Amino acid sequence: MPIGGFVVVLDLSVSDEVLKQFSQFPQIDVHGVNEEGSAVVVIDTETSDEMEQLTRQLQKIDGVLSLGVTYFHAEDEIEKIESGEIKPSFSFGRKGEKSENCS
Amino acid sequence: MSLSRRDFIKNTAALTAASYIGMSLPFVAGEASATDVASWHRGTCRLCGTGCRVQLGINSKGTPVAMRGEPKSRTNFGYLCMKGMMFYKIMNHPDRLKMPLYREKKTDKFREISWDKALDIAAQKFAESKQKYGPNSTAYYGSGQCLTEETYLFQKIMRAALQTNNVEGNPRLCMASAVGGYLTSFGADEPIGGYANIEKSSCMFLIGSNMAEAHPVIFRRVMRHKMNNKDKVKIINADPRISATSRIADMHMQFKPGTDLAMLNAMAYTIIDEKLHDEQFIQDYAVFRQGKKVQVDMDTYWQSLQDYTPEKAAAICGGNITAQMIREAARMFAKSDGTMTFWCMGINQRKRGVWANNLIHNLHILTGQLCKEGADSFSLTGQPNACGGVREGGGLCHILPGHRLVAKEKLRNQVEDAWGIPRGRIAPKPGAHTIKMFQQVNSADIKAIWINCTSPAQSLPNVDLYRKGMAREDVFIVTSDIFPTKTTELSNLVLPTAFHFEKTGVYGCTERRSQITPRAVVSPGEARPETWIATEWCARMAKYLNDPVVLQTVKPFLGKEMYVEQPEAIWDEYTQKLTKHRDNDLRGATYKVLKQMADGVQWPAATESYALTGGTVMKFVKGSDPMATSESKDDKPFQFYGPAHADRKLWVWVRPQAGADEEPDAEWPMYLSTGRIIDHWHTTSMTGRIPELMRANPYSFVEINPKDALKHGIKPNDMVEISSRRGKVTMPAKVMEGPIEGMVFAYWHDMHEDRMINKVVKDSFDPGSKEPEFKICACRIKRVSGPKALKPFVV
Ligand code: SF4
Repeated sequence: MPIGGFVVVLDLSVSDEVLKQFSQFPQIDVHGVNEEGSAVVVIDTETSDEMEQLTRQLQKIDGVLSLGVTYFHAEDEIEKIESGEIKPSFSFGRKGEKSENCS
Repeated sequence: MSLSRRDFIKNTAALTAASYIGMSLPFVAGEASATDVASWHRGTCRLCGTGCRVQLGINSKGTPVAMRGEPKSRTNFGYLCMKGMMFYKIMNHPDRLKMPLYREKKTDKFREISWDKALDIAAQKFAESKQKYGPNSTAYYGSGQCLTEETYLFQKIMRAALQTNNVEGNPRLCMASAVGGYLTSFGADEPIGGYANIEKSSCMFLIGSNMAEAHPVIFRRVMRHKMNNKDKVKIINADPRISATSRIADMHMQFKPGTDLAMLNAMAYTIIDEKLHDEQFIQDYAVFRQGKKVQVDMDTYWQSLQDYTPEKAAAICGGNITAQMIREAARMFAKSDGTMTFWCMGINQRKRGVWANNLIHNLHILTGQLCKEGADSFSLTGQPNACGGVREGGGLCHILPGHRLVAKEKLRNQVEDAWGIPRGRIAPKPGAHTIKMFQQVNSADIKAIWINCTSPAQSLPNVDLYRKGMAREDVFIVTSDIFPTKTTELSNLVLPTAFHFEKTGVYGCTERRSQITPRAVVSPGEARPETWIATEWCARMAKYLNDPVVLQTVKPFLGKEMYVEQPEAIWDEYTQKLTKHRDNDLRGATYKVLKQMADGVQWPAATESYALTGGTVMKFVKGSDPMATSESKDDKPFQFYGPAHADRKLWVWVRPQAGADEEPDAEWPMYLSTGRIIDHWHTTSMTGRIPELMRANPYSFVEINPKDALKHGIKPNDMVEISSRRGKVTMPAKVMEGPIEGMVFAYWHDMHEDRMINKVVKDSFDPGSKEPEFKICACRIKRVSGPKALKPFVV
């Protein structure tokens, strides 16, 4: 269940429109926009997959100039990887190659 | 997770983001810190050469659980890119190598062995090779991702203990031409200024760099500066390919691959023709050169440019280049209050990469766009410690620590004296450069090679040719790494190493800045720091070689605690003894100082008190660089005291246009270029194991210009075969106005045998820098089928 903090740079001429589009996503909180067009945005998703898809979707919105991540928290996920509860989907390690310890 | 705790974390995320843009939020930091992060640990990002500073959040069990940027850092001011934010997630990945693995024959299966046994085998094999076949039958191939302490120690062992200069590293593949360019143009390696110039510049010339993807946080600064000064700051992007970087450019110069030398000469032509050059600067600081020993006058240089009038150059360059465009670009460059050029692999990975570097420097010297605020000729570095470790620490076959040349006896003697070994111990001849080294693996002249933290079995050009040699049973290969790679698959001995934050050491980024990352996390299994591994290996070799100098090599480090004391002793030896009075004087950058700094120290920094200010922002400038005063030879404000130019001048070079080693012809009609994508890092052994990044770009694709796609009947996502005289691969097509017509562009990260583009790339190299020409070769393309479902792949 990752949480990310982002600075999203907006084109000020269309920032209202962009923020309206952001508000349609319940996973997104916008905490404010400064005079240069930088918005503080927090994204809270159920899965990393969802986080990644959402950030990509945001980047495609006209008027979103860049999306810079400044904070990332994924403790639950890491704990689950550590405990073996979830296995990262891209893991092709040397399974089956462990053999007798000859030391 | 309770709702309130989740809210706390969200508040932390918001506060962190808000702090970077100076915004206050209606909740306070204390509230937000009540998450499960027990402590935050400062360090450097593990990935690209930008050198962003990070803070790794560790929970009470010692597990890394969060990451944030370091807001006080002058490199990134707290910003990170997605891969920088996520690299810590691989620390607990189940694929981590946790025990030494060994097999006698490369066709056998690996079995786990103890460290004791592993180190013994490595020592015995290298000692035996030296005794039977001579010192040059052994070799070390390292990485711009190793800590400086690691590179320094390995090269010391190779030179002092094994008596070979066969010391190389993957920076040969990415920045050797930049080294050659700086040394031949400015007499000193590495940029004069730093990132601080970005916000002061009024013209930025981006050539051969897709900074938006390869150095995203530097790009952010460039973009921000442009956005804040839309009319004042001009950006010129020059590249055969329109990339994500081009979107902020006022002018995109799109030329045929390999013709940029003509274009750069034509800009120089315009600068002189329109009297935009800085006569006083040239008179005070520059000379003109035609060859290393041949000095010419400005008139001869001017005559050499007659072949490159903007009209003639435009005809050579093709694409959208017009004479008018070249003149416009030259004017913007010369007339701005401060012009900064950025380049990377597009210039360096070329048959004439050093010349291309020289021609960029020429523009800066001619216009005096150097040594003043906002002006710099700035080569970007790909890897986090190619500068600090490999360039400065002696990690290439022809250089010793502290920017010393192997070929110079006086400099060899300085190193021998510092190491307390007999004079004459270091071999006088440089070793084999990377391509030669792997040619010698192919011929089995090299019998024992140690590959550290890199995967040449994927990253070398024309890679299949060199994999054949690496597969030979009479070549013993040790690989030390954190994950299995294409190279571990060809190794006899695989040693599990501690990852970033699991050991202590220093990285030196693109802008001469050394930054420490102290240990904060325990390594999995029996993974160990490379400095411990190398020390123990060398001590065992002393036994087999029965040679006291071998033991002397590592004696100062033997038996020390491996996570802090040992690397600190190595760093101290290197900085205090080997950088003393060199242009990269790092004596002030002790661990004590580096640990206090949010963002490290820019050299030269000879004393701790000076290092604590952050060091030297602008080299060679009196008032900014203490060495410009201590090394001053006259009353001029700039002193070019670098080691390579005895005349202390900047050299403007006469360099002709030179195309690629392999140009398209009737049989292989297209250009192939290769490069990077934002989410991945090099061979993907790390980023391929981060699901978010891998999902974003699960496999390589080839970018094809719509006109070429039409010609070949290729539609988006069709499977396309790219073949050359060396090999072929098949990957999906992205049809886009990216590459210039007649050129395709493929990503090189993919490990899958069907998609490893380095099978196709040519292994020709620059005769000066020996850097291979990854950026241009000839190929042909053909549609194989419609779209196919592909599986992402890592070894
Ligand atoms: S720009 Fe480079 S150094 Fe900075 S966070 Fe991204 S990968 Fe790391």
